[in-house]
Amino acid sequence: MKARETQAPAPLSFEAQILALLPQLRRYSRSLTRSDVEGEDLLQDCVEKALVSRSQWRGANFKSWAYRIMTNLHLNARRSVARRPSVGIEEAENVAMSAVSDDPLEKSRLVKALETLPKEARAVLMLVVVEGHSYQEVADMLDVPIGTVMSRLSRARQALREKMREENVIPMRRPR
Amino acid sequence: MTEARSISEADLHAYADGFLDDADRARVERFLAENPDAAELVADWQAQNDELRAAFAAHEKSKPTDIQLISGAHHRTAARPPRRAALAAAAMAIFALGAIGGHYGPLLFKRPDIQLAYTEILPREARNAFLVYASEVRHPVEVFANEEAHLATWLGKRLSIANLKVPNLQTMGFKLVGGRLLPVAGKPGAMFMYEDQAGQRVTVMVGRNKENRTTSFRFASASNVETFYWIDGELGYAVTGEISRDLLQKIAEECYRQFPS
Repeated sequence: MKARETQAPAPLSFEAQILALLPQLRRYSRSLTRSDVEGEDLLQDCVEKALVSRSQWRGANFKSWAYRIMTNLHLNARRSVARRPSVGIEEAENVAMSAVSDDPLEKSRLVKALETLPKEARAVLMLVVVEGHSYQEVADMLDVPIGTVMSRLSRARQALREKMREENVIPMRRPR
Repeated sequence: MTEARSISEADLHAYADGFLDDADRARVERFLAENPDAAELVADWQAQNDELRAAFAAHEKSKPTDIQLISGAHHRTAARPPRRAALAAAAMAIFALGAIGGHYGPLLFKRPDIQLAYTEILPREARNAFLVYASEVRHPVEVFANEEAHLATWLGKRLSIANLKVPNLQTMGFKLVGGRLLPVAGKPGAMFMYEDQAGQRVTVMVGRNKENRTTSFRFASASNVETFYWIDGELGYAVTGEISRDLLQKIAEECYRQFPS
């Protein structure tokens, strides 16, 4: 079964899978990067790479495969330096189309604290917390032992906690 | 006790991330009950989780240019979709997305999550209300404590909270002065004021916002005025005073216990 290869506004199969996954991939790419612009760049690179490497997809878990591509691209790239001047979250407002002043990310100190994390630790935290992957899935995705996943997760959480304490945000224990 | 010793840090992470089955969860909970430091650590992690999820949730969305991403990716430099999205493409994309799945459409028009904005507004307005009203000698409130039942019914109705109970902070040495209606983030909100024997005042503010999502407790401070605030369901709460952080935290916890969830 092949996709109709006319102008095809309704792509099927492989393209359709990417399209269906795009919202989640967009969230993930944004969670790895500093601004909407960088997030969209990473997303585009990921889609491009996925399309080019479609023959390498073995028909197994498409989602993991796409997440793996994005993670690797991000960890291996020095994208912002090479491709365009990096834009921090504050300046991002001045960049075309990202002038959304009620962007909740600009308001969160915790999100700003993410910038202080090593890329690998941040990726693990996001894959687990925001994207909801299990530790084993993340280990498979990144091709590292599960112990490495746990230590990166631990390091990320510890670093954020210290950062937030410096910033006067004390998450109180809720009486449950 | 023997089982408590077998709890590893990995178990705590898995607990915070909701990956444990019932038996293991219970095991970790018993451990946490006896280890307040670990419990605090896990609570911090869970608060981080909640906030991170909330912060990025709004980015899970489709864009009108998504179709071009898929179909035009091979001539990227020329075809990188203009960020000021072409309307024609948008129409086409919506059509295509509709064809893929009905659940897709609404995402396109999803409003950005404004929860964090609200958590910024809440402590600021609580502080302002405290500064304005707590210094009032004769008219600090609209309805005084002698009409507490009426106060509760009235404000409960404006906030759509069934059986609103005015928190009782007597055990903390604060008695109710009264309360008033006031705007909180542009909607009807309630403020209750309390006073200790020395005349120190504390205010408790409640506001409602449909887009709210539950948060952990937070703390904000500006020139001696301290505020604890949290969101529980649609309701936002803020406790403000010029008292020690410890005492204010106890008051906040007491309020949390007494407010309906």
